Amino acid sequence: MAGTQSDLLQGTLDVLILKALALQELHGMGISRRIAQMTNAAFDVKAGSLFPALHRMEQAGWLTSGWGQAETNRRAKFYSLTKKGKKQLQTETKRWARISLAMAAALEISQEAL
Amino acid sequence: MISRLRALWNNVFRKSQLDEELDEELSVYAELVAAEKVRSGVAPDEAQRDARREMGGVEQIRQSVRDIRVGIWLEKFAQDIRYGIRTLKKNPAFSLVAIATLALGIGANTAMFSLLDQIVLRLLPVKQPERLVKVTVAGNNYGNTYGDDRISWPMFEDLRDRNEAFSDMFCRFPTTVTVGYEDRAAQVMAELVSGSYFPVLGVGAALGRTIAPDDDEVPDSQPVVVLSYSFWRNYFSADRTIVGRTIALNSYKMTVIGVAQPGFDGVELGNPAQMFVPIMMKTEMTPRSDGLKDRRRRLAWVAAYGRLKPGMNAQQAQSSLQPLLYSILEMEVQQPDFRQFGDEDRRQFLRNRIEVLPGSDNWLRHSMRQPLWILIALTGAVLLLACANLANLMLARATVREREIALRLAIGAARGRIVRQLMVETLLLSSAGAALGLALAFLADRLLVNMYLPANEAADFVVSPIPDWRVLAFTLGMLLVTSLAFGLMPALRGSRTEIAPSLQERSGTGSLGSVPLRRIFVVVQVALSLLLLVGAGLFVRTLRNLRDQGPGFPTDHLLGFTVDPSLSGYSDQQTESFFERLNVNLREMPGVSSVGLSTMPPLRGYGWQNAIIGENSGERQEEQPVLDEVGPKYFSTLGIPILEGREFTDRDRGPQKYAVINRSFARRYLPAGDPIGRRFGLVDDQNPAAQPDIVVVGVIPDTKYRDLREMPPPQAYFPYFQGAKFRFMNVYLRTHGEPRQLENQLRERMRRFDPHVPIVDLQAMDEQIDWSLRTERLVASLSAVFGGLALLLAVIGLYGVMAYTVTRRTREIGIRIALGATPPKIIEMVMREASVMVLTGLSVGAVLALALANLIRNQLFGLNAHDPWTLLGASLSLAIAAGFAGFIPALRASSVNPTNALRRE
Repeated sequence: MAGTQSDLLQGTLDVLILKALALQELHGMGISRRIAQMTNAAFDVKAGSLFPALHRMEQAGWLTSGWGQAETNRRAKFYSLTKKGKKQLQTETKRWARISLAMAAALEISQEAL
Repeated sequence: MISRLRALWNNVFRKSQLDEELDEELSVYAELVAAEKVRSGVAPDEAQRDARREMGGVEQIRQSVRDIRVGIWLEKFAQDIRYGIRTLKKNPAFSLVAIATLALGIGANTAMFSLLDQIVLRLLPVKQPERLVKVTVAGNNYGNTYGDDRISWPMFEDLRDRNEAFSDMFCRFPTTVTVGYEDRAAQVMAELVSGSYFPVLGVGAALGRTIAPDDDEVPDSQPVVVLSYSFWRNYFSADRTIVGRTIALNSYKMTVIGVAQPGFDGVELGNPAQMFVPIMMKTEMTPRSDGLKDRRRRLAWVAAYGRLKPGMNAQQAQSSLQPLLYSILEMEVQQPDFRQFGDEDRRQFLRNRIEVLPGSDNWLRHSMRQPLWILIALTGAVLLLACANLANLMLARATVREREIALRLAIGAARGRIVRQLMVETLLLSSAGAALGLALAFLADRLLVNMYLPANEAADFVVSPIPDWRVLAFTLGMLLVTSLAFGLMPALRGSRTEIAPSLQERSGTGSLGSVPLRRIFVVVQVALSLLLLVGAGLFVRTLRNLRDQGPGFPTDHLLGFTVDPSLSGYSDQQTESFFERLNVNLREMPGVSSVGLSTMPPLRGYGWQNAIIGENSGERQEEQPVLDEVGPKYFSTLGIPILEGREFTDRDRGPQKYAVINRSFARRYLPAGDPIGRRFGLVDDQNPAAQPDIVVVGVIPDTKYRDLREMPPPQAYFPYFQGAKFRFMNVYLRTHGEPRQLENQLRERMRRFDPHVPIVDLQAMDEQIDWSLRTERLVASLSAVFGGLALLLAVIGLYGVMAYTVTRRTREIGIRIALGATPPKIIEMVMREASVMVLTGLSVGAVLALALANLIRNQLFGLNAHDPWTLLGASLSLAIAAGFAGFIPALRASSVNPTNALRRE
């Protein structure tokens, strides 16, 4: 499922990760659970898509990472937004607002036409 | 860039650490998922299995993360490079000049250093070359000697057997031999070696075995030969079955026992040995000259080497050997062959000293050391110039781009990104320059090696044109630092300076911080160029003086070659008859007007010297003249006029000894009055009762004998066919047409005349002179090239600064013109500014040139190191070239349209 989702909407995952980290820094599994929570479990991000995305976003300068302690007392890598990441989140939020409005409008029209 | 490099480093080299981190991240992930499941009531074991399954393949995740890291890096890098190439293309003049500058700096330095390193600095390719030393005796040997570095065979044995300084010693004697195999004959360089030669050097065999200490026992007993690897490949086509076969050396049958290891051509660079023969075969290899079996102590012929004992240095070895030498000398001075010398000579002889020298030193090294260091110094100046030019270019470009960069910073570009781009551009320039420079160095070294060594020797002589990595790193590093330092300036300054002033192009006098710096660079360039031009002038004029003065006889239409029938097994009688028949035969050759034979080849550095007895008292003369044995018509063949008396004819073979002398000889030994008919004699060590029995029959002018640099020494010539002393012969033909055109005919004629005697060193006299001037030509041509390039760089630098200044001052110039300044006034104003820089540079350069000139004094000929004309000429040409460089921008300034200039605001 996760694979098809990311194929479907390249960029969706990035926005979700940015949003997930908007409030607090999280480790990989934390991000995955936060996204599930935010989307009412519509998106279940698997490790296979999550980690490549995290590393790509880190290289792009949107995220930074550092080691911290996880719930199980083990060392885990925690990700947080950079300044650039926050800016990116704003841009993306606006873009998505436009897209979803446009999509909604488009789909309504086609339904009426039916 | 640094962080990028670190990221690349991390990606490529520290993969494992990144992978470990990722592994840890993934395992924590799995653990957290499992913990979650346990909390929701799943059994721990099952929870862990589920978590793993949900996560999918760890290896797959790892791979896709890795791909992303590398992919992003490459993409950004490619982007930077594309952008860099685009910017460089936009400004081709700048890029080309910068690349050419870099190529010149890198090329010149690596080429010259490769030569210096391989000819002068590098040690022999043997085991522990730094522990190998050459042992010589400084002082008069009171006998015959093959060179300053030679000692007698018994002396070598004494030193070898009684020294405490060396773990072992060996000796060698290089000589030419005629090798015959199947139906071919050739003359090659053979090294007669003691049995310890190969073991002490630590050189092994590629095939068969080398000469061993057992081969050293009994004279004449070991007819064996070891071939050098390159000779085995070139002459025997690397035939592995050669080992065990018989070849003829001087028509004496010898068995090939092995081939020496590759890369080993004896211990004398530039004089490669083609084969190695046990020194016990001396008599067979050098017919009619012994020194081994007769154990003569007054004949110094072997070069001795030692390997220092552990803990012993050359200095200590020398001190420990001196008492030993003294005891040997004390014994020698008592021997019968010393009886003819007086007390003063004995005291002198006992003062001879042992000398322990580096084993890798040799004649080529010695003669090339100073010229090559001079050239290195010149290329160092070229490198400095290149750096100054590069700094200048980069600064010019930086100031031009300052506005662009300020603008980009203002609209929010990251400074890091801009710095990175500038660095990529610089790296692009540097790598293009380095690639070009290396190609240049490679070609230059090939050219230089071929110019310096004749074709057949160059093939064997391994001066690799591959540059040394240290030089390459040094030159590349220096240029990189220069270009980075000045290339990055605008980006770094961009953050410090206010953005606004840069954006407003209101520049009254263009007082940008970098202009004074650029002026200093121009001054440095002018000064260095002058230095190089003066050097070039001195060396080129030295070469011209040497050529113009010549040897004292016409050298065109003269063809020479060498033969040695004694190396083909000919007896004394047969040898003399060979030359007699040859003389007649060649006189009849079409295209040849006359033939001259001479045992000593003029202008090749050889000299036969012997003490003489004055005409009256029969006393021994201290100063020794140089001597030669020549055939009939030798002087007319060479074009040397007879001033008084006559030259030798076919009839000069009776018991009466005759001589032709030169003017210096007459002045020195037969002063006052007509020398014709007067007498002198040769000192003969074998016959202390020698008399002045030689009658002077002719006088020739002073001509050069050993080389073109010398003052003609006193010379005496004897008729060859009057009891000759030597068995080899240099044959000179005066030709009607171009001498080289006769080459094939001559070779064919000689083959028909006698197929067993190979002819060697066939050369036109002009070629031989060119060859003898090879060091001078090398230095003159390179310094001229460097001087020309330096001039070009300085002119470009000056032009750049002036053009820039004029552009910055357009408004000011416009105002001046509007206020009534005439074009000549404007030109004068700009030119005055250029003159200040040029004149400062010239004075600094002149002071430097005068201060440094003494260092090259002994390389010059026919002019003073402080030659005013050379300095004046160099300054003038530099000033004129600089004048043009300044005049173009000045002219542009004078034609500024004031209306347009003022409207630019």
